[in-house]
Amino acid sequence: MSPNPVGPLLKATFRLLSTSALAVACLGEPAWAQQKTITVATHYTDEQMRPLTACFRRYEAENPNIKIVHQQATFRDFLQTILTSRIGGRSPDIYNVYSIWGVQLVSNGVLAEPPADIVDFVRREYEARTVDAATVDGKIWGVPAEVSTYLLVYNKNLLREAGYSAPPRTWDELAAIAAKISKADAQGKLTVAGYAFGPTPANAVHPFRTLLFSRGRSLFTDDLRSTNLATPEAVEIVSKQAEIFRKNVTNSSIQVRDFPSGSVGMMITANWFKDTLRQGLGDKFESTVGVAPIPGGDDWRTYQYSFYYGVDARSPSKPEAWRLVRWLNTPSEPGKRSCVGDMLMTMGGLTANKADIAASQAEVNAPFTRPYMEAISSGRAISEKNVPQASEIEVTIRGAIEEAWLGRQDPQKALSAANAQIESILKEAR
Amino acid sequence: MPPLSLIPAKMLTQRTAPYLFLVPVLLFGLVFFALPLAASLYLSFTSWNSLVSPRWIGLANYEHLFTRDPLFLKTLLNTLVFTVGVVGIGVPASLLLAGVFSRSRYQALWRSIYSLPMVTNVVAVGFIWWFVLADPWGVLNRLLALIGIAGPAWLNDPSTAMIAVVMVFVWMHLGQNMLLFSAGLGAIDESLHEAARIDGASETRIFWSITLPLLRPTILFVLITSVITAISYFALILVLTEGGPVNSTNVTALYIYGMAFTDLRLGRASAAAYVLLVVIFLVSLLQLRVLRRGGVEAY
Repeated sequence: MSPNPVGPLLKATFRLLSTSALAVACLGEPAWAQQKTITVATHYTDEQMRPLTACFRRYEAENPNIKIVHQQATFRDFLQTILTSRIGGRSPDIYNVYSIWGVQLVSNGVLAEPPADIVDFVRREYEARTVDAATVDGKIWGVPAEVSTYLLVYNKNLLREAGYSAPPRTWDELAAIAAKISKADAQGKLTVAGYAFGPTPANAVHPFRTLLFSRGRSLFTDDLRSTNLATPEAVEIVSKQAEIFRKNVTNSSIQVRDFPSGSVGMMITANWFKDTLRQGLGDKFESTVGVAPIPGGDDWRTYQYSFYYGVDARSPSKPEAWRLVRWLNTPSEPGKRSCVGDMLMTMGGLTANKADIAASQAEVNAPFTRPYMEAISSGRAISEKNVPQASEIEVTIRGAIEEAWLGRQDPQKALSAANAQIESILKEAR
Repeated sequence: MPPLSLIPAKMLTQRTAPYLFLVPVLLFGLVFFALPLAASLYLSFTSWNSLVSPRWIGLANYEHLFTRDPLFLKTLLNTLVFTVGVVGIGVPASLLLAGVFSRSRYQALWRSIYSLPMVTNVVAVGFIWWFVLADPWGVLNRLLALIGIAGPAWLNDPSTAMIAVVMVFVWMHLGQNMLLFSAGLGAIDESLHEAARIDGASETRIFWSITLPLLRPTILFVLITSVITAISYFALILVLTEGGPVNSTNVTALYIYGMAFTDLRLGRASAAAYVLLVVIFLVSLLQLRVLRRGGVEAY
């Protein structure tokens, strides 16, 4: 049998390819081989990211050795998505971190410590209360971005129809107004809720926090080993919330998302809800939506949390990543907004970047946004110290509050049980 | 040129050949079943959050689940209620439909219609049913209001949420079991029914004394697969209620999912998954023992 003619041909081709590859390697790396890719992970949609994406392309043009990739995951799946990709060795370089995840990410070595110039930049350029949200164990771990805080949002028309020209200033006033606003159909089913809550843990826990802060209590004790859930103030707040359920002024079916349909009188909600309200109400937005302080009396306080841009501790491009984060958060020229500021203002968000606030007077002075901005700048919006397993703790609190709302458990009993459970979670995390 | 062979002829004896042919399947089973099973057994004795290396803690996860976890036992109870509900309603309903359609002129059409939910994405199913069950403006409550009945908040009331979830699950899986029962009914020799009729047996008597006993292998298969599916199921619940309100629909599989991927307690989630595995194993064993006669042995 004749030898196989394919063998020598293959060998020749292999030799040719090897020689060419060696030659290319000796001549020096091509431009694409020197380029570094920086992956930025956020929970924002492509539409929301549009202004930032344009900035990415501008940065790439100014820095040809950098390529920026956006990794998107929904807010709900964000943490598990980035952590799973980390297990798989494909960590993003930059994270848009929700402040309550901070302790978990820091204590497990996920976040890189920012260089001194970034720390100075944050201390100098951002509102101090918001910097607290990006702080874990006294250290700053990123550059603050989107800020969220809570206020009372009310339907001006429903309040007017019920004979009220001003929003409530205390919870008792709120309960009285809500009772007058609420309507039921022939079968006794609520069609208009005087006040509405939301379905998520945050929808229950954050408004509860605002009322607790207004009573001079924080959610966690100073040593972060326990909570103030079993205190008389906390029990009274939840008892009064449960009372409006019992009186059929609200229920678990009509929720904050129903506000645009005119079936909600009042709700304590975050500023980022503006976009939903604006989309739902269209040109009736201004004439329908009113914003007022938390109904917690003269000393009302509210809760704020933020997102911040942090860098992965394993990123091979840490200096480049921090440089990009700073660039994105710095105005290109005086009087203009930074890229992140631009994006936040476009989507109706808030920022604690002093330069962005100064350059966004029209946006921050809009009737809906101004009270939220004032809550932040006046120091009434408080961000508590971050604790480990914060998401799990929020779910626990939501469960306890909901048990009380629906009359399945006495508020004192439900909150005490939640406190014991949270103490156990915090102890385990230490 | 000698014939191309990857396996030396010496190795291909009568004794070794079957094992060699089984290698691909055994490898698949090892990589995708045995190894993950062993890894999760190991993890169940550790504390692991996926960010740092697992830390050995012995039986602490199991001890926590059974003595200190305020929800685990409740989720097991919810799983029991869900399983009894979907099997208790779903299996007889699909048997009934299979019986009815086996006599219908348009068998294929009916089977196709009832099989549609089975091939529909669970998120779409959840979304459609959310519009039906929502309160107060959902289709079902609007219809009830027309006849003067105040429908409950199906998905938001802890006393009705599990009922709503069970009904949607049954609707979704009706077609699958119906197809199996149809095949089982089709395999029964019609002459047995004819003989019984000639002997004067009523249709009810024929069903209980001839159809049902001969259908036991299919019933056993449907029961075992339905129970296993129900015990380990959570996708529809995640979409419809997320386990709420106040954990009234929080089944163990959903609880494990949250524990692992939201709370990042992968060690404890592995322990809970092993408890669920043992429950499924025991229930399946019990079903096999009870229905063995006329069931598996009939094959």
